This record gives sequence, structure tokens and C-alpha cells, in this order.
Amino acid sequence: MKNSTLAKAVIASFCLLQGAVQADVNISGFASINAGKVLSGPGDNPVFLADYPIVSVYDEEWSLDPESLFGIQITADLNDGLTAIAQLVGRGANDYDPEFEWAYISYELNDSWTIQAGKKRLPLFYYSDFYDVGYAYVWMRAPADNYTWQILNYSGVNALYTTDIGDWSVATNIYAGKEDDEDNKLLGDFFFRAKTREIWKDIIGGVVNLSKDWLELRLTHMQYTNERYIDDERILWDGKDYREGKFYGLAVNVDFEQWFVLTEASRLELGGNFDTKMLTFGYRYKEFTPYVVYSEFAAEESGDENHDTTSVGLRWNFHDSAAFKMQFDKVKDNSVAVGVAGDSKSFTLGIDLVF
Amino acid sequence: MKLINKILVITLASVSSLCFADVSVIVNSANNDAIDAKLIKKIYLGKAKSFPSGNKVKVFSLSSSQPDTADFRKKALKKSNSKFKSYWSKLAFTGKGTPAKEFDSAAEVIEAVKKTPNAIGFINSNDVVPEVKVVKKY
Repeated sequence: MKNSTLAKAVIASFCLLQGAVQADVNISGFASINAGKVLSGPGDNPVFLADYPIVSVYDEEWSLDPESLFGIQITADLNDGLTAIAQLVGRGANDYDPEFEWAYISYELNDSWTIQAGKKRLPLFYYSDFYDVGYAYVWMRAPADNYTWQILNYSGVNALYTTDIGDWSVATNIYAGKEDDEDNKLLGDFFFRAKTREIWKDIIGGVVNLSKDWLELRLTHMQYTNERYIDDERILWDGKDYREGKFYGLAVNVDFEQWFVLTEASRLELGGNFDTKMLTFGYRYKEFTPYVVYSEFAAEESGDENHDTTSVGLRWNFHDSAAFKMQFDKVKDNSVAVGVAGDSKSFTLGIDLVF
Repeated sequence: MKLINKILVITLASVSSLCFADVSVIVNSANNDAIDAKLIKKIYLGKAKSFPSGNKVKVFSLSSSQPDTADFRKKALKKSNSKFKSYWSKLAFTGKGTPAKEFDSAAEVIEAVKKTPNAIGFINSNDVVPEVKVVKKY
């Protein structure tokens, strides 16, 4: 991934604006220091793919690199509803090279409408937006079987609308944009083992989030046009040099004082159907939250990509701004034609914090 | 035995009222908006950004480490400190909101609310001064 010119423009505007007007600049951030290893698996070198888009891979040696990360967010509040925001994330999986994950300008038109433009996270899943902020969710990581798509960000525009309908809070957004990833890590390193340029263009999508006390529903749809080059050679699908994808997602969360249930299902139509499902149960006892998770990915065609994970874990809020977590994952890889990571049993632990 | 019980209850009650003094939500004395518990909750959860008059709210808070802050979050927002932090880190790092500005002491919150016409803050009820307006006690 490259730092887009857009990101540079946003940074440049930070500097300009700082000199020009009184901007309230605030720095915040998040970090995760995680360690893990594969306990067992078939073959000589079993691996655990903990995270698809970033390609976080554990093997039988203890390692800190696959999922540890450090993020800094700079927010410049220019008053009257205008803010410029940039987020730099350095990942252990990429030698901690800091990259702009987010860089955008946000303008609050009024209490209901906000317009944003720049580079943002593609909000396919409930947890996509705060995928990197481990502190914000219960697990070690968002379940890998669900969050499998190779494109994580997009550049474009986003309009947010929030309102109330009776007791329900309604938050919606619609977005449009493009992502051109010159050297896609998941496809290049993992699937095709050759330099892969992945383009998602004419992206248009929407999210509706409804919440009320203990219940939250999230519905989403997105469509895009996919183009791909492997080793600089344009890929054809059924004789055409592009294909259309359509994504649908539904998340339902039930959260009482102590018990909570998190669910998410999605379908990507891209030639065939690719379905994901996730179910989590958790229980809060004082500062401890034990949980169990089941997640799966299934391609429509039998023999194609198909895997599931059963996990148990514990989150401990040992500090106001930090949580200790540990998780055991059992991955079952039923893929035949497209081998993914294989079966594995793994253990990971770590600390997530925000500042 | 009954008498001892009664004494115990009275003693406990008076001790607990000392330990758990109320938290007061305050605004600038010039603010005439109608502000109820529902609006306070929405403001501190980032779901409302303006007062009924249409003025944008400046949200102030005591720092997370203060007992009054935990008390306010528990009573007014029905969230523990860690749940509140998780909730806000979700909004703050995804462009959906800016968390409240935190101050280390009640005196600083009062000062900021006095200076800012569209501010809202909370402090221990024992720290309230006449120059700010109390809109709600928890």
C-alpha cells in the first residue's frame, strides 16, 4: 500500500491551517502488543492466519510481530464543525513502517449531517472501522473468517446522517470511492504468490445502524467493479477484464449489563456467493469478560475456500485505558481447490490500550 | 438486637451519603435551554451535538481517574469506565465523534463552563458555585 497523494494533501493542509487559523490539535492513539504461537497442526510447518487483509501469520515459534501495532491519530479541530484527521499505523506484520490508514477532512453541516472526504476504512463489516483498535472490542481480533476481504481502505467521499426515531438512534452513511492497491499483500503474498495489483472502483455503499438500549442492528450494502493484474498481466474473468461485486451484511448485537451476544453475517456475490457467519457469547464479571466465538467462511462451490474457527478467550480490564486478553483458536480449513492456511490450534495473548 | 440493627442502618445510611455525594451537571449561567437526563446522556454519548436552541455543545468532563467521573458515567450514562472508554474509542478513531475535553479538577471545569456559553460539564455537587447553573443532579 502507498501513502496516497490525498493523505499528503491532508497533512499539508494541517500544516497550512495551523499557521493560518487557530486550530485545536489533539493527538490520541492506540496500541496492541500481542504474542502468539501455533500449538499444533498437520504437516511440518502449521500456520495460523490470524488476520487476512494484513496477513498476520503465526507459526510454531512465539512471535510478537504478526498482530502488534501502534497507531497515532492527529485531529485538528478548526471550529465551526470542520476537522482534519489523520491516522498513522505501524504494524509488526509490516516491520512497523508507519502508513496512513486514514486521512480525511470532516465537516459537520448541522446536528444531523456530516460530510467527509479523503482516505477512510471501507466499512464492510461492523468492526471494519475500528479493526485496528483492539481496545474497542472484546476479542484478540475481529474474527478472521469474516474479515477476509483484501481491500481495507478506500479514497472517496462519505456522508453521515444521524437522527432519532422514537427510542431508536439511527446512524446512516453513504459512501463512494475507489481503491487501487498496487501491491496487494493478501492476494500477492498468500494466494497467488506473485505481485498482484487489485483495483476496486466505482465503489458505492451504504450503512444503516439502528440502536436502542440493549439492541443494535446494522445493515449494509456495497457494490464495486473489480480489476486485477498479476505480474502486470490483466486478469480476465469469463472473457471480460472486469467483474462486478455486490456485498450484503447484517449484524445484530444484544448487550445487557452482563451478558452479550454478537452476531454478523455477510454475503459477497462475485461470480459465485461467498458467505460468512459469526456468533459470540460473552459475560462480564467485574473487570473480566470470558467469551466464546464461532466464525466461518464458505464459498458456494464445494471444494472452494471454506474454513471455520472456534475460539475461547478472556478479556481483563486491568487498567482504565488498557485491557489484557488471551485467546485459544481452533481453525478448521476445509478448502480443497484453494488451500488457505490449513488446520491449526493456536494461543495468543496481549495488551490493547488507548491514549 | 432490633435497636442495634436500627443504629447500624442509620449509621450506614449517613456514611454512604457522605461517601457518595451527588454529581451535578452544570452549564453556563446564560444558558436557558431545557436540558433533561435524556439529552445529557445523548450529549455524553456523542449522539447529540447541539442544545435545543441549536447551539453546538462544548462537552467537558472531569478526568477518567476521578471517582466523580466514574459515578457520573455509572448513573447518567449507565456505563462503567471501561465500557465508556471502549464505546468512545470506537467513535473517536473512526471519525464519528470527538470525546469530551477532560479537566483534572472541578475548579477547572467551572472555569471552562463560565468562559464558554455553550458548554456542559459535571462536578461533585459539593463543588458547585453560584456562577454556574445546575441542570441535573445524579
